Amino acid sequence: MNTLLLVRAHTKIQFLDLIRWPGYVVPTVVFPAMLYSIFDLPAARMHPNDADLLALAFIAWAVIGVTLYQFGVGIAQERGRPWERYVRTLPASVFERFGARIATAVLFGVITAALVALVARAFTPIDLTLMQWLRVLLYAIAGGVPFVLIGITIGYWASARASVPLATAVNLLLAYAGGLWMPPQYLPSFVATISPYLPTRQFGDLLWSVVGEGNALRAVMGLALYTLVFGLIAAVGYRRDERKRYA
Amino acid sequence: MILAFEDVVKSYGGIRALDGLSFAVGRDEIVALLGPNGAGKTTALEIALGLRGCDSGSVHLFGASPSSIAVRRRLGVTPQESGFPDMLTVGEIVEFVAQHYPTPAQVAQTLSAFGLEAMKKRRAGTLSGGESRRLALALAFIGNPEFVVLDEPTTGLDVQSRRRLWDVVREASGNRSILFTTHYLEEAQALASRILVVDRGRLLFDGDAQTLRGRVGGRRVTYVGQDGPVVAVPVDTDAYVRALVNSGAGFSNLEISKPSLEEAFLLLTKGPE
Repeated sequence: MNTLLLVRAHTKIQFLDLIRWPGYVVPTVVFPAMLYSIFDLPAARMHPNDADLLALAFIAWAVIGVTLYQFGVGIAQERGRPWERYVRTLPASVFERFGARIATAVLFGVITAALVALVARAFTPIDLTLMQWLRVLLYAIAGGVPFVLIGITIGYWASARASVPLATAVNLLLAYAGGLWMPPQYLPSFVATISPYLPTRQFGDLLWSVVGEGNALRAVMGLALYTLVFGLIAAVGYRRDERKRYA
Repeated sequence: MILAFEDVVKSYGGIRALDGLSFAVGRDEIVALLGPNGAGKTTALEIALGLRGCDSGSVHLFGASPSSIAVRRRLGVTPQESGFPDMLTVGEIVEFVAQHYPTPAQVAQTLSAFGLEAMKKRRAGTLSGGESRRLALALAFIGNPEFVVLDEPTTGLDVQSRRRLWDVVREASGNRSILFTTHYLEEAQALASRILVVDRGRLLFDGDAQTLRGRVGGRRVTYVGQDGPVVAVPVDTDAYVRALVNSGAGFSNLEISKPSLEEAFLLLTKGPE
């Protein structure tokens, strides 16, 4: 069978299974736009010059939330399930199965980020050109890679029960300390000291570079390092789980 | 040959799940794999499906490794536990599985064959146990595979539902080979052309139900003695009855018959403690 058709088939059922589940859609897809509306929309209206930065920070957080829950909680909860074992007996490779998981995450990431962007476009003076929006899309997907790997690390190292609080803690703490909820200059001094080294801050910097803010080079280097580190930890976790369940 | 196990050994830590297991499944055969809990049936199936490897020996499915994608295109599986994604409909799950095979059966036809057409749009999370098992069975056949593996296909169902599913499996079997595990001896007798009995990871018997009953040797002796009904399957029936008569003890309703399949199975798997 054609690989693309199989990836599409797996993506379709993963997407439908999640989009029909309010327990996933509300906290993961709707929350970023909702919290942006409640907390940052008034600020963006009061300080029009910051409107771009505030919206881009919430777009980054939207992508991070999807990757951590989709991969962290998703893998941890599914890896022991009978359906997962059954799917492994079907004629589809691990690349097709995992490719579908990535495609599903990209779809949800784009939808979640687009909701934030729509609210920002409708209610704030955010002013990005089409080219800048395309760069935002590209950077959001590329910048999401280390968070996918952090998610996979949680998915393979944490139990199903521990994965939800762990992913939530990582998501909220890193978002706050990375300056995604408020401009980094308003962070308490000790948090501001470590903030530039966090992947969330680097992701924010990458997106802010679209409007001429943030240090893009440092962000790319930092995100590449996190990709490498969590890529290795995730790979070890994957192999450990494979040996345990399928050796 | 469809499936061949040769001297397969598999251990989990210090526990030997398969201890030199050898058997084969040929074309158009329906084979039942029987054994008590912990006999090694599930491990054998997992290895046959490519979900696990073995420590030594060899396993070939269609002459190749069971984990090969090409081999899996010729294989259909009914898992022991269904656990379908709650939010997907019956139709979506069947269509999804069909998309993996080069020449799948018609989805509508398969849904109808397994009595699922009325619930095509129902979400899997709302299915009853029997409906879930029918869906699990439909998935094994939707790909139109040459070889079907059914892991305890009717476990948890009432007698009527079980018998209805046997009819469905018989009709769907067509010209294909089937290997299934079961706890129900009557299911093995009703569906299988060959029975394999495994215990402690070894093959104890390979043949049909008739031979399995005959293999035990003795006959089943029942009578009502002074302390109530007695059932025995002695090795030497003649000597047993002679001793009973000579003992002078009172008895009535003496019957001598062939042992049931269940008794034969229990005697076979009792083994040395």
